[in-house]
Amino acid sequence: MWQFLVKYSNLLLFLFLEAVALGLVFSYNSLNHSAWLSSANRIMGGMYASWSNLTGYFHLRTENEQLSAQNVELLNRITALENRLEGVNEALLPDSVSAYIYAEKHLNYIPAKVINMSTSTQRNFITLNKGSRDGVEEDMGVVDQDGVVGIVRTVSERFAVVIPVINSGFSVSCRFLSNDKLAPLHWDGVNYRYAQLEDVARHVEVHEGDTLVTSGLSDAFPEGIMVGVVDQAKLSESDIYYHIRVRLAADFHRLGYVQIIQNKTRAEQKKLEKWGTEK
Amino acid sequence: MKIWFENIWRLAVLMLLQLLLINNLHFLGICNPCIYILFLIALPAKLPHWAEQLIAFLTGALMDLAANTPGVHAAACVAIGFARPKLLHNIVPDDDRLIGTVCTRILDTPAYFRLVLAMTLIHHTILFVLLNFTFHALWLTVLQIIVSAAATILLILGRELLRQ
Repeated sequence: MWQFLVKYSNLLLFLFLEAVALGLVFSYNSLNHSAWLSSANRIMGGMYASWSNLTGYFHLRTENEQLSAQNVELLNRITALENRLEGVNEALLPDSVSAYIYAEKHLNYIPAKVINMSTSTQRNFITLNKGSRDGVEEDMGVVDQDGVVGIVRTVSERFAVVIPVINSGFSVSCRFLSNDKLAPLHWDGVNYRYAQLEDVARHVEVHEGDTLVTSGLSDAFPEGIMVGVVDQAKLSESDIYYHIRVRLAADFHRLGYVQIIQNKTRAEQKKLEKWGTEK
Repeated sequence: MKIWFENIWRLAVLMLLQLLLINNLHFLGICNPCIYILFLIALPAKLPHWAEQLIAFLTGALMDLAANTPGVHAAACVAIGFARPKLLHNIVPDDDRLIGTVCTRILDTPAYFRLVLAMTLIHHTILFVLLNFTFHALWLTVLQIIVSAAATILLILGRELLRQ
């Protein structure tokens, strides 16, 4: 027995180490793998952050252009809202009860910078430079100026790890802008520019170029944030469901600054819904 | 003692190069070279087999920690750590005379190329199969392995030529 162990010690060591490694690979799905999402930890986060500071200057020009474009858009929206507000005020009689309906959700945006990301595997992640001390929590939605980016998965004090749309474990409920139909969006892991829509039945009218926005049914994203545009919709004779390819609004190779959506009424909503399921 | 510093320095430089530069180059999403395996290729030829495997495992685990890929790099690295002494023995039958860092100074270029080719292919095959653990994108996995391995080998041989 002892001789056997000595003779095959290297092979046994090899098998043992491979077993440990493969154990880690395959427990990834079943375990709570937050502990492994380690780029949020201090050393790696710090390293990526300082590197990102160093290389950030190379992208300043495009970042600036994007920011100014976003500014213009926000200014336009302010103007439009002011106009509407005036209209509302005029319509109100001086002594009438308030007809003002409060916004459905109280949102706040936390700006963050992408300091590390992968786009070439099937389980991609993004690391952001904002963490729990900036108010980031798990399950918050993340968007950039183009559209939906992902959902916060884990948070450390100063960093957050995001599961982006281009992670095969991600799914988001979408709505067609043209006909209000709902469908879940998935990524098949092939091309970082395109995701897939499933569960769109054949009686629904789908055209190339249709716009998809968030449905507002998940608490991570408010309604109406751009997700992508239908790029290709295939339907053969025998299909019950469409094969739809969606060109994603967010360009993950050019991601720089993003906004984390803080939903101030979410805790209250969760509490109420939990109470509802317990009854 | 000198050889320790040399290897630790090489590991640090290669890791930083891998994490900060190469992992940020998105070339069509299929070309992901792993230059850091040069550290495992270049380990001293006379290293005990068990030490080689442990070092390979730890290197892979370090890469996993940095790249958010539990176990994947570790599995690929252990395999090449296990295979290297056997490959060396196959390529250079009188491998007892090999001393020091494995590079073109102690191996002739064709032999070195064969070693790099074999180790890169083993590593990349395991790596990408585990990374894309689905069957519907099999062609994509194969393409990734071939293109990335070619890039890794070019980088490693290029560096070796520059040093000469």
